[in-house]
Amino acid sequence: MAITLYDFELSGNCYKLRLLMNILGLPFDIVPVDFFPGRQHKADWFLRMNPFGQLPVLKDDGLTLSDSGAILAYLAKTYDTTGQWFPDAPAITAEVLRWHVVADDITASSSAARLALGYGYDFDIPKVQKQAHRIFRLMDEHLWFGEREGRDWLCSPAHPTTADIACFPYVMLSEEGGIGREDYPALRRWTDRVRRIPGFTVMSGIFPAGRALQTA
Amino acid sequence: MTLSLSDPTWYPIASSDDLPFRHVYQGQLLGRELAVWRADDGNVNVWENRCLHRGVRLSIGVNEGGELKCQYHGWRYANRSAGCTYIPAHPADAPARRIQNRTYPVREAYGLIWSAANDDQPFRPFPGAEGHDWFPLRPMPVNAAPEDVLAALSALAPDDQPADLMPGLSLRFGGTYYFVQPVDAGRAVIRGLLATQPDATTLRHYNELLSKLRDRLERAAAKKPAPEPLKPAFEKVSAELSTMPEIAVPRGNTITVVVKRKWTSADGVIGFELAARDGHLPTFQPGAHIDLHLPNGMTRQYSITNGPGDLMSYVIGVKQESASKGGSKVLVETVREGDLLAISEPRNNFPLRRDATRTVLIAGGIGITPLLSMARFLDKSSLNYELHYFTRAGDVAFRSELEALHGKVIFHTGLPRAEIGLTIASALGQWSMAQHVYVCGPSAMLETVRSTAAAQGWPDEAIHFEYFKNDKVIDDSSAFEVELARSAMTLHVPSGKTILEVMRDNGLTVPSSCEQGACGTCLTTVIEGEVDHQDVYLNDSEKRSNSCMMTCVSRAKSPRLVLDI
Repeated sequence: MAITLYDFELSGNCYKLRLLMNILGLPFDIVPVDFFPGRQHKADWFLRMNPFGQLPVLKDDGLTLSDSGAILAYLAKTYDTTGQWFPDAPAITAEVLRWHVVADDITASSSAARLALGYGYDFDIPKVQKQAHRIFRLMDEHLWFGEREGRDWLCSPAHPTTADIACFPYVMLSEEGGIGREDYPALRRWTDRVRRIPGFTVMSGIFPAGRALQTA
Repeated sequence: MTLSLSDPTWYPIASSDDLPFRHVYQGQLLGRELAVWRADDGNVNVWENRCLHRGVRLSIGVNEGGELKCQYHGWRYANRSAGCTYIPAHPADAPARRIQNRTYPVREAYGLIWSAANDDQPFRPFPGAEGHDWFPLRPMPVNAAPEDVLAALSALAPDDQPADLMPGLSLRFGGTYYFVQPVDAGRAVIRGLLATQPDATTLRHYNELLSKLRDRLERAAAKKPAPEPLKPAFEKVSAELSTMPEIAVPRGNTITVVVKRKWTSADGVIGFELAARDGHLPTFQPGAHIDLHLPNGMTRQYSITNGPGDLMSYVIGVKQESASKGGSKVLVETVREGDLLAISEPRNNFPLRRDATRTVLIAGGIGITPLLSMARFLDKSSLNYELHYFTRAGDVAFRSELEALHGKVIFHTGLPRAEIGLTIASALGQWSMAQHVYVCGPSAMLETVRSTAAAQGWPDEAIHFEYFKNDKVIDDSSAFEVELARSAMTLHVPSGKTILEVMRDNGLTVPSSCEQGACGTCLTTVIEGEVDHQDVYLNDSEKRSNSCMMTCVSRAKSPRLVLDI
C-alpha cells in the first residue's frame, strides 16, 4: 500500500485530502504540482492522469483517482475502520453527497473569488462573492438550527463526516476572496469544531482553533 | 436619521449563545469591527478587532480561557483589561503594562450581549425587560440601512396593533421585541427577543418571516445608491507601543483595594484577597508582585498568585513570622476583612518564558506564591511544567489551588535538609536546550538550586529567581551632582549618602521600598550622565542602556546625572 497525492500546497481541494488522511493517520507521499504560476496541471504528463486537468489526483497502488469529493469517499470507505466518515446507511450517504455538491459550489464561488483576487484569474468577482454569501447564509441557518437540535455537524450523525471536510477549506479561505464571515456566527463556530477534530492539520491561511475547554 | 460614530446608545451585538467558551466572535457596531470573547470565568470581552502589534484581527486568534492569543506573533492579552501579558519575541521580558488594547463597554442581559461605541451612557434595560425568560431569535444580517430595516419591521405589525417604537432603533409588537444593530450605514442585524421559550415551529416561522423581510429590504436597497459607509478613525499605535520598551517605568500610582477575604491557608501562611472597589484591577504577568502600603507606613512586596485574566481581585500569601520586624506582622495581626489598603500597580521582576520545552518550578515555603501564578498560566495554555513545592510538615499553603492544576505538581513535605539537595538535583536533571527553571524560596534554597543547576550544565540565563535582598556591598564613596529635570533643582550627593536620601532631605517625595536595590520601586529614568549601577533589580542589558537607575543604591560615574524627576 502506498498512497501518492499530486498536490498543490495552496489548494483547498488538495488540503481536503491531506486533512482526512491526517485524521485517519494514513501515511502518504506528496508529488508537488505547480498549479500557479507553472500551470503544471495542464501539462501533458498530468493530463494523462486526469484529462480534466484538475487537482488533486491520488494514486493508491495501481489506482488513479481524481476529484476531491470522490477521493474523500474512496479514502473513507477504504481506510476508515470506524465507518463514520462516509457512513453506509443510504439516507446518510445521500446527505453526505448532497453536501459534497455544496462543497463544489463553494469552490466555484469562494475559491473562484480567491483565485481572481490572489492569482489574477478572470472571474466576475462581485458575482462569485455574492454566490458565496448565498451559500454561507444557508449554511449558517442550517448550522444555527443544528445547534438548537443538538447537531454539531453538517449531516445528522453525532460525528463529522466527509461533508464537513469537503466544505471546510474554502469557507476558511473565503477572506482571501474578499468574503467576510462576520455575518455567519454559527458557521464560524462550526469551523472551530472542525479545527478541533483530533488529527486536524493546517494549511497556509488556516489556523488552529486552540483547545476546547476541558470539563473535568 | 444619520448614524454617528460617537452614538452612545447601547445596542445588542450578539446573542449570549453566540459566545461559547474558547471561541472568538467577530462583532460589528457602527462601522467598527470587534473581537468578542467569553473567558472561562464567564466574563465577556468586547475589544477592537486588531492586535496592537501588527493589526491582525483578534477574531482569528485563540481564546485560551484567561487570555486571548493573537494568531500572528502570539501576543497575549488579558481577560477584562485587554492588557498585553506576553510577547513571544521577547520571551524573557515582561511587557510594559501600558500595552493595552482598546475595549468597549459590555453588558450581558436578556439573552443578548450589549455594547456601545463609548462610555457616555449607562446601560439601561429596555422598557418591559424585567421578569421574563428571554429567548433571542436567530440574528438576521441585512444589507440595508438600519433605519430602513426598522421601518420595515414596523410595517410587519398588524394594522390594529401598531408597533411601539422604543429608543435605540428598537420596537415591539405582539409580545416580540426587535432590535436593529447598526453595523454600518448600509448594513444592519435584526435581533428579535421572545418573552417565552419557543418551540421549533415558532423558531422556523420567525426565521422565515425575517428571511423574507431581509430579501425584500435587500432588493430595495440594491436599487438605491449605496450609502457612504462610516469611517471610524483608528488611533495610530504609538511608537512607544510598536517597539518593545527596555523596561516598564512605574508610574508610581497607587490603587485602593478592599480586603475581601483573609484566611489561614496553612500553618503560618495567611491568604489575603484584595479586590478592586469597582471594576477590575490592572493587568499583571505571572511572577509579578505588588507593593503593599501598610497601615504603619511601611511598604512590602507580595507576589500575585492569580491565574491568567483573573483581575477582579489579587490573592497574596503572607508568612506569619514570629520574629518579623513589622511588615507581615502588621498585615497579619491588624488588617481585617473589609479594610482598605493601598497597593502599587503590579510589577514584574520575575517574568515567565512561555517558549520552553521544559519548565521546572521550584518553591520553598512562602516562595510558592509567584510559582503558583506561573503554574496557572502554563496550565491554561496547556504548556508542560513540573512544580516542586518544598515545605515543612503542615505548611502546605494553597493546597487546593495547587491540586486543581492539571500539570505535574509534586509536594515535598518535611524532607530532611540533606535530602532536599538530592531532590532538587534529580528534579532539575541535566540541562538541555530551551529548559528553564524558576525558583523562589529561602536564600539557602536559592543558592542550592543555583549551584546544583550550574553543576548540571544549566546556563545562567536558564535559571530564574527573584531577589528580595541585595547582598552586594554598596560602594557609596563617590560624590557627584544630580540635576532633577522636572523639579528644576540641582543637588549635591556627597559620599556616604544616597541620591534618594538627598532628594528627601530637599523636600521631594519619591517612592521607595526595600532601599537596597532589589525591589524596583525607586526606578528612575536617566536623561544624561553615566550610572554606577549597584542594584540587583535591573538586568545587564538594562544597565548597559544607561537609561534608568535605582536611586536607592546606584550612583554616578560621571560628575553629573540628569534624572527625569
